[in-house]
Amino acid sequence: MAKRLLEFRNATAIAGVGYTPFTKNSGASTLTLACRAVLAALADAGLTADDVDGLATHRVGDSAPPTLVGPALGLADLSWHLDQFGGGSVSHAVVGQAALAVAAGMAETVVCYRAINARSEFRMGGTGRGLPVSPEVQYQAPYGYVAPPQQYAMYARAHMLRYGTTAEHFGTLAVTQRANAAKNPRALMRTPITLDDYLASRWIAEPFRLLDCCLETDGACAVVVTTAGRARDLRRPPVLISAAAWGGGQSHLSGGDPTVTSAAALAPRLYAQAGLGPGDVDVAEIYDCFTYSVIVQLEDYGFCPKGEGGPYVASGATALDGPLPVNTHGGFLSEGYVHGVNHIAEAVSQLRGEAGDRQVPGAEVALSTAQPGYILPATSALILRRA
Amino acid sequence: MTVHRPEPDRDSREWWERVARREFAVQRCAGCGADRFPARAFCPACRSEEWRWRAVPPEGRVESWIVSHQPFVPGLAAPYVVVMVRLAAVPGCLVHGNWRGDREPRGGERVRAVFRDVGEDLTLVDWEPAR
Repeated sequence: MAKRLLEFRNATAIAGVGYTPFTKNSGASTLTLACRAVLAALADAGLTADDVDGLATHRVGDSAPPTLVGPALGLADLSWHLDQFGGGSVSHAVVGQAALAVAAGMAETVVCYRAINARSEFRMGGTGRGLPVSPEVQYQAPYGYVAPPQQYAMYARAHMLRYGTTAEHFGTLAVTQRANAAKNPRALMRTPITLDDYLASRWIAEPFRLLDCCLETDGACAVVVTTAGRARDLRRPPVLISAAAWGGGQSHLSGGDPTVTSAAALAPRLYAQAGLGPGDVDVAEIYDCFTYSVIVQLEDYGFCPKGEGGPYVASGATALDGPLPVNTHGGFLSEGYVHGVNHIAEAVSQLRGEAGDRQVPGAEVALSTAQPGYILPATSALILRRA
Repeated sequence: MTVHRPEPDRDSREWWERVARREFAVQRCAGCGADRFPARAFCPACRSEEWRWRAVPPEGRVESWIVSHQPFVPGLAAPYVVVMVRLAAVPGCLVHGNWRGDREPRGGERVRAVFRDVGEDLTLVDWEPAR
């Protein structure tokens, strides 16, 4: 591990988190949602907009860029800002980039946010929007194959064929996360479900049913990144950024092994940067655009052998009282879909010991991950720890 | 059936033109001999920009498939089957298409391409069980 990467480890921290309500219709512009989440995160940290000198977001489709949010909040001079293209695959890279900027002294207080009216205005899986920016779409769209539920279903089937992964494995994950959401006042879907409910839910794209798919949501979420030293003087217990990694593998649109994600290449770098391994992780917030994406990432982040993600979930390992509680807030499947940032915020809440009825006792180390590198070959992840 | 029309780019236009002539071709790198799909100017193995088209048997094996119960693209009648095929001639490559079998695909089964004309100026590649 390079000396300067060791200097980066735990040099920065997340000092605050903020949310708007998660709804089916926010009644507010995407810009307004972004501003509300940014101000909420600053208030949580005990800061004001006058303390902000950096803003960062990621986007595909609906977005409110820093060049709109800055003026809307009357920020006089942003010394650093980022509007990163890439959808959910770069949700965690944005926080990593902010941490680099803070560590390098380019900015002192960066708010990373994602705002989206994905339910009432800009459906991610809908038909009225532009196609993804990739030349490979031309080889797929003419066949009616364009939407993430279809693409992930295709990869999920490949995993089922190769490893014997079953609908019951997917269903157990959906049931487990709903049970977590029942303990989360913020969650959109809080009514417990059973495996039978899962199996009875309608087909979207076989092998995916409705309850395999995340909830398109209106909402925004933000986190405040600053130096670890400054975070210690603020209102909340700081949560250290032990590692931040991003990168890409091969495009799964054009080839390769569809049962392995880019996370498999990223994970060793991430763990080395933190000086930790998967056995040290107390709680994991794993990008769950679909049930299957959690199962494949449990494998690629080293929590179980390749192909064993389904049985691992079925064993109860990912439940709140299991050895690796996963998506303690209910995840995108049940809390809401804010494109990665609500996973980071939940990890922070857990490490601060403020997760209420769903708190994992004694959680000290958390992994949080982005879209794992399907669709776009990039992925990103953070390892956070209690100070 | 209406379809979302492909938007060929400068790298891919000739691939579509060859499909329209019912020719199934991939690119073969003149530098290292690696075959590739989809069409690109650069070889990802050796970064050469020299290549030629090479007609290959339109055959492969089923890597995966979905049954889409929502059309997602306006005008399609659901349900419909999309299959992902690993090309026999270029094992590193996955090609998609609609399924033309009278039953669902089976994992790993051998398939061959079927050319489907959509209107007068567009031909697509579908897949059916190999006979």
